[in-house]
Parts: sequence; structure tokens; C-alpha cells
Amino acid sequence: MSSERPKLGPDIPKVVTAWLSATGRVVYLTQDRNWSEDLADAEVLTGIGANDILAWAAKDQTRVSDPYFMQVTPDGKVAGRETIRETIRARGPTNHPMFGKQAGNN
Amino acid sequence: MYRYDEFDDTLVRERAQQFRGQVERRLKGELKEEHFKPLRLQNGVYLQLHAYMLRVAIPYGQLNAKKMRQLAMVADVYDKGYAHFTTRQNVQYNWIALADMPDVLDVLADVEMHAIQTSGNCIRNVTSDHLAGANRDEIEDPRPWCEIIRQWSTFHPEFSSLPRKFKIAVTAGETDRAAVRVHDIGLHMKKNAEGKVGFEFIVGGGLGRTPFVGPTVREWVAKEDLLSYLEANMRVYNRHGRRDNKYKARIKILVSELGLEEYKRQVEEEFAAQNSWEKVVLPQEEIDRITAYFAPPKFEMLSAASPAFEAFKSESREHARWAKNNLRPHRAPGYASAHIALKQQGEAPGDATSDQMRAMADIGERFGLDDIRVAHEQDIVLPHVKLDDVPAVYAALKAAGLHASNAGLGSDIIACPGLDYCNLSNARSISVANEIQAVFADPEFEDEVGTLHVNVSGCINACGHHHVGHIGILGVDKKGEEFYQVLFGGRADEKAAIATIQGPGLRHEEVAPAIRRVIDTYLSLRRDGGEKFIDTMSRVGQAPFKEALYAAA
Repeated sequence: MSSERPKLGPDIPKVVTAWLSATGRVVYLTQDRNWSEDLADAEVLTGIGANDILAWAAKDQTRVSDPYFMQVTPDGKVAGRETIRETIRARGPTNHPMFGKQAGNN
Repeated sequence: MYRYDEFDDTLVRERAQQFRGQVERRLKGELKEEHFKPLRLQNGVYLQLHAYMLRVAIPYGQLNAKKMRQLAMVADVYDKGYAHFTTRQNVQYNWIALADMPDVLDVLADVEMHAIQTSGNCIRNVTSDHLAGANRDEIEDPRPWCEIIRQWSTFHPEFSSLPRKFKIAVTAGETDRAAVRVHDIGLHMKKNAEGKVGFEFIVGGGLGRTPFVGPTVREWVAKEDLLSYLEANMRVYNRHGRRDNKYKARIKILVSELGLEEYKRQVEEEFAAQNSWEKVVLPQEEIDRITAYFAPPKFEMLSAASPAFEAFKSESREHARWAKNNLRPHRAPGYASAHIALKQQGEAPGDATSDQMRAMADIGERFGLDDIRVAHEQDIVLPHVKLDDVPAVYAALKAAGLHASNAGLGSDIIACPGLDYCNLSNARSISVANEIQAVFADPEFEDEVGTLHVNVSGCINACGHHHVGHIGILGVDKKGEEFYQVLFGGRADEKAAIATIQGPGLRHEEVAPAIRRVIDTYLSLRRDGGEKFIDTMSRVGQAPFKEALYAAA
């Protein structure tokens, strides 16, 4: 099932994503080690060093819950076999677009 | 309706207060998510795809106007103005911030509601027949027994850490409207040879990854033995249910692996071995006390025929259609039970806006003896409506956009939230359900097709009950693309059957046209006299329907 995230090798571009602990909002890890609700702000990671950043994120438990790698294109767009899930997660439910981030409803 | 006593009120408020402290510790970083997760789940709080989700218990699906209005207020103040009624007669909110959860539990407690037993490996919220106390074919109102089970199971220390979640349903009608054969334990109230009312115990049914129709473990259990016999079953399960593999942890797997006879032997042995001090024999005065809360309302002495209702039906085809499809016979002359199908074309099955919830509260209060039910089909039911009031009820429903005239028909689709909301889902359910609904957009065509249950799940966990749909749709992930397997021949009633997967999955856009071909095949094969879809399929077999399903578009 989708809750078991696919393993991403070191060469695959990825970002760290999680949920804000206080609100549950979907967020992405930025280069300055903050969390943004905008995927465009996320730091795109490659190489084995990415694992250290995920490990750091996993310790940031006061701010976020359940961080994991999400595959992206080199320029930070959603990619890979989880594209549908992560697109919905980033933008909002397709049946209620007025509640999604694509409607500027952050 | 049951009213809280001081113990219920204290228990619910103390639980909310306890959770407030747990949330505060989580937000301060004193509790890590891995430690907080089981605590939030015990209070109905899930972390879903976009946000936290709160599942609120509606014991045996019964609400009144005051509760419904409070649920609407929660939707407005803490969520995004809508809520989702579920296949387990509960209600879910998709957007509540964790920091707000304790306040929400407090305002729920103000109207005798809570989120206990809506998650975790405990005995979950007990479900029942949404027409209980109103329909003609029940031998007794099952709700007092649901309430007794609720009180017995809430925070029961022996059963608060079961191998897996545990779902109990109770029905008392000849027709099973509570799907008791696909529950961990289904209780079907029946008379024995002496005419005494008791319970048929059906154990080990379920859907999900490994679907089973539950077998009967005992044909009849006396009322006074209900809780003791439940405990005997729970103890055998608690002792032998697998905890090493959550996919094999439900009681259905235990019953299957032990074999029915051995399972029965162990339950009977456990039941016989209970000492007198540990048997839970309910005092009659306690049964009477709880039963009194469910005393039938004082129905007016009315004629079975209502001129106002007859005039309403003759006014328009729209009225006649709603009356035919959405009203059910009532035990009292001059009354009917009204289905409010939360299945308007293009809307998420089971969703209602806060305005619609308030409208249902107003209508239920004014015209429905303040009794409002949630059906496992994700519809709302007003069990007691005077036929004389049907014109006013319909007008009010129409003003609120709640007048879908499709109860029990092709567009009255059961669907889980799917990938649009759920963190476990593989594929979207709502959009597929909406596209199938569009197949039945022509009322004349939908009526011509007649009774049809289409159930859609976004993953194998089967929250959309796809295994028991006449037509089931299961979303699967295939290398990152949404595909949908189609199943035929399921049913959740007293003739419960698990549907059969037909073959390879279809692409999202292929599903609705394929369903249309299946329906056309049915119409070409059915016998005169309105033979139902499921009956035609039983008579002729599934092969022609499968052929139509995969016919090149």
C-alpha cells in the first residue's frame, strides 16, 4: 500500500517532506532547515548525504511528524511512481479544489 | 435516544481533558510522534494525506438535531465547512489542527459525543440497522443491545489491546441492513423454538485484504448470556489471535485457521468455564433502564393513506420518483422512513456541508420526531416521518440540495475518501464514483435499472466495502498509475456474498464506460417483471457481464 514509501537510490533527486505537528499541514524541508508549505521552496537532494538530512529531519519531531523522501525532478517537480499521490498531497483533494493549495488556500 | 448519566459524562470529559494534556506535551516536544500516535488514535485522530483527521463516533448511527447542529458547528469553526459520513455510521473531519482537537472533544462532550472507539485495536463503535425501531420486519429494537454492548466494551481493560480492531454489528430485521455477516461479530436477533428472542452469533466475517462471510458460531444465545458469550469469543480471540502479522490478526483469520468446529469448541469451553462471579449477567432492571431510552415515540393514530402525500406524488414525476425511491415502509400507519441520499451527482459520497447538516437537523427536529440516523450506505435517514409531512420535507431537502432521488440505485454509490484524502489509499475513489454516477444521470434510465449497489474502495483495506457491492470497484497502484479492478456479485444483506474479481484492472477513464456496458448487458438479459441486477447475475452467471466489462470500447 502507499503508506510504504518506495526506496529512492542516491542518484534520484528527492526532497524531504513531512506534516507539521501542530496543524498536520504538508511541508517540505528547505535549504536553511526550515519547513515550507510550498514545494517550490524545498531543497532538492541527491547523493548519500541526503540520508543525513533525512535523519536530521526525523529528529525535528517537535515541528514535524513522519518525514520521508519524496521523488522529484532535478528542478523540484513531483516525479516518480508516487506522482499522483504527491501531487494531490501538494495541491489538495481533486474533488474539492477550493480547499487545495492550488486555490491559494494555504 | 440514550442520554448520558453522570458516569458517561465524567468518563467522556475526563478523557477529553487527558487528551488535552497529551496534545500539549506533543506540541511542546515532550512526546515524540511515535509515542503520541497510539494516544491520538485512541481519540480518533489520524494523520492523513493533507492534515489530521478526526473520526467522531455516532453509536449505532443515531443522532438528534442538537448533535447534528454541533457537528455542523465543528465543521464551520474547526474545519472547512463540511464533514464526511462513513460506512461505519461515524463522521469524519479532514482538516482539524491538532492544537484544536481538545477543544473539539470538549464541544462534542457538550452534546454527549466523543471520538472514543473510533480507532485502535479495541472494540470499535457498534453499528446497527438505520431503520431500527421503525421498520416492519424487526422482531425487537436492537439499539438497547447496541448501547449495552457500547457500555460494556468502552475502556474494557481486557479488550483494550486486542490483536487488531474489532467491529460488532447488531440487527433485528428479517432483512439485514447492518451487514452483520461481514463483521468480526455479527449479532442477528432471532427467536428460538420456544419463541424467545436471543442472538445468532456470526463470527469471523470481514472485508479488507482477506474477505470472509462470517459463519454462525451459535444459532441462538439468550439475552442474559449476551455479554458473557461475547466475552468468551473475545477471550479466545485475545488468546490466539496473531500479533506477529497485522494482516493475519483479525478474528476472521483465527476462525479460518482453527476451523469453525475447533473455534466453537474453544468458545463453548471458555463460556462453560466462566465462574459465576465473572459472568456478566445483566440485571433486568438495568436492561429495562436502558431499553426505556429507546421506547417507541408516541406515533399519532393516522390513516395509512394520506391525501397530502398522494397529491404530492401526483404533482410531478420528480416528486413521485423521490417518494418511490427514498421512502421506506414504517411500522406505524401514516408514517414512512425517509432516506436523504448524500449522493448528489458530482459530490463526494457521504459528504455534507455544514449548511446541509443544519438543514437535516431542522427537518429532523420539525418533521422527524428529532430522530436522525446515519446509514452504513453513507446516507442519512429520518426514520419517522408522517406521510402528511412528506411535501414539506421534500421541499426543505430540495432547498438544501439534499433531494437526490436515488436511494438504493446505481448512483447511490458507497465510496471511501480514497487517494484524495487517505494516507493508505492507492487510487482515487470519489472521482471514479462520480463518473459512474454520471452513467445514471438520466433518472428514467436509473429507475429502469433499479436496485443496484456499486461500492468503490481506493485500496485493499476496503473502507468502501467493494467486496459486497453488486458491482465492486477496487483502486490499485500499477507502477504509479491508478487502475481499478472490477468485482461482481457481492452483497451485504442476509444473503451476504463476497464479490469475485473479474480480471485485469481498468484505467480510470475506462471504468464508467465499462460499467455502462455491464448495465446494458443486464438490461438485455433480465427477465420481465423487473428482475434485479444481482438476481439476473445469479441466474445467468458472471460470464456475459465479464465479457461486456472487457469488450473493446
